Amino acid sequence: MSVTDDMPFRVPIWSRLRRQIAGYGFLSPWLIGFFVLTLGPAMSSLYLSFTDYSLMSQPHWVGSANYAQIASDDPRFRAAMNVTFTYVLLSVPLKLVFALAVAVLLNKGMRGLNWFRAIFYLPSLIGGSVAIAVLWRQVFASDGMINQVLMTLFGYEGPSWIANPSTAIYTLVALAVWQFGSSMIIFLAGLRQIPQDMYEAASIDGASRTRQFFKITLPLLTPVIFFNAVILTIDAFKAFTPAFVISDGSGGPIDSTLFYTLYLYQEAFTNFRFGYASALAWVLVAIIAGFTALSFLSAKYWVHYDD
Amino acid sequence: MPQGLKRAFAYAALAAISFVMLYPLLWMVSSSFKPENEIFSTTSLIPENFTTDAYARGWNGLSVSFGWMFLNSAVVSVLAVAGNLISCSMAAYAFTRLQFKGRKFWFALMLGTMMLPQHAVLIPQYLMFLNFGWVNTILPLVVPKFLAIDAFFIFLMIQFFRGIPRELDEAALMDGAGPLRIFLKVILPLSTPVLATAAVFSFIWTWDDFFAPLIYLNDIEKYTAQLGLRTFVDATAQSDWGALLAMSTLTVLPIFVLFVMFQRLLIEGVATTGMKR
Repeated sequence: MSVTDDMPFRVPIWSRLRRQIAGYGFLSPWLIGFFVLTLGPAMSSLYLSFTDYSLMSQPHWVGSANYAQIASDDPRFRAAMNVTFTYVLLSVPLKLVFALAVAVLLNKGMRGLNWFRAIFYLPSLIGGSVAIAVLWRQVFASDGMINQVLMTLFGYEGPSWIANPSTAIYTLVALAVWQFGSSMIIFLAGLRQIPQDMYEAASIDGASRTRQFFKITLPLLTPVIFFNAVILTIDAFKAFTPAFVISDGSGGPIDSTLFYTLYLYQEAFTNFRFGYASALAWVLVAIIAGFTALSFLSAKYWVHYDD
Repeated sequence: MPQGLKRAFAYAALAAISFVMLYPLLWMVSSSFKPENEIFSTTSLIPENFTTDAYARGWNGLSVSFGWMFLNSAVVSVLAVAGNLISCSMAAYAFTRLQFKGRKFWFALMLGTMMLPQHAVLIPQYLMFLNFGWVNTILPLVVPKFLAIDAFFIFLMIQFFRGIPRELDEAALMDGAGPLRIFLKVILPLSTPVLATAAVFSFIWTWDDFFAPLIYLNDIEKYTAQLGLRTFVDATAQSDWGALLAMSTLTVLPIFVLFVMFQRLLIEGVATTGMKR
């Protein structure tokens, strides 16, 4: 705190006014953005979600009809929920386990740590791009990389993983798990915070490495696991590009890669059903908020904080 | 098991994981330098008949050359970097250094906006930009960045500004400097690490962005490289793998170069702030 805060009466009015002007002046780009790009649109989309609205007509109020339809009478919504939850519930835990395992391995004072860390991080950095989604199409195509490798190694002729509705979603899960690097870096940073003398003390007491991992490493790392899990879950719900590119924007085959955001995009920008799409958007917000709230509620049962 | 053997196993595991992780990328680059028939006939990563034909076919594979679309991407990305750096550093400065009424209130709201998924504001934003006549221009991709829409960077800069000793501001204040001078002459020059981190990340995220260009850009002359690549998938109808992989390689190349140059900065950024990518 600056000196002037302790003696407000000595500060002349002009100088106080100047501080307000300076504060709001510097904040003004964000303030304008907040009102024009966030608050206004958020209110507006909440209103639109209770209307029937396409570009051709004015919005007209339909009450909760959109939400009622989403809840009871929309097979594509149910398909999208299925696909999205499968994706979230598979990719997040797999990514966490993989990231943690590799971080623990790297934390054993391995040489070339910086090299390995960089190699594992690269897919996270580029994985969201169109190029990698295009690559993934070719990797899992019927004559793609995976099947070439399977043929060479085992003489097995693989199917087209992308064109097959029962396997397409797993290619996207694989793409997500391939990007475990950024979580791994966060785990590595967390592992370094664990004091070495705890392990030394445990060793003297005769605790095995495995026991040390479950009794020291894992409990002390729970805040980091929690943080990673929340971030990854929110991100997974919002995934869009890979599904769009792999399915040519359709979410196919047979809606098997119809991510929630892809369905939302189709309703808004292919069918121009702005009212219905707004309702879908708020349902997504509610789902993400619900998941986050649940995580925080569950945290007190398993996340270990230093007191 | 003896310690040395364990260690050897750990290295073998790490090397194997690295290989599996990198193999698709190596396959992409190597296939882009192979003649079409060789892509399918061999798993070798070294092209037998090295050729850059695929690049030539891909570069002019659409009615507008990829060069033009790279230029579009570069313009959008550079403007986004400028917008983020200016607007986010201003907001972070106001939140950390200036005393004004309502500061805590706005700060809480700023944190709140970080939680709100963009989908909640997507449609009204689109309709607004449509009204402004901005659809099919780069303005919807760029102007929001000058209004500090990526609140994450504000947060990043706040963390850094808090670490700059206040004595420096106060000394400048004694010398008669106002808030603007202190911002420009004291805070910003001391903040190059965080500004660089924000610049590199916002360049990469904008370069990689697919959703906003997909919604806002209609004419192929306006396309960014990502959108062009996606259109190229349709245009080749999956028949010219070499060209497709060549253009994929090129669109990733700028990010790869930044990754090599700023690897430490990027990894530290992720480690200290938990950034998602």
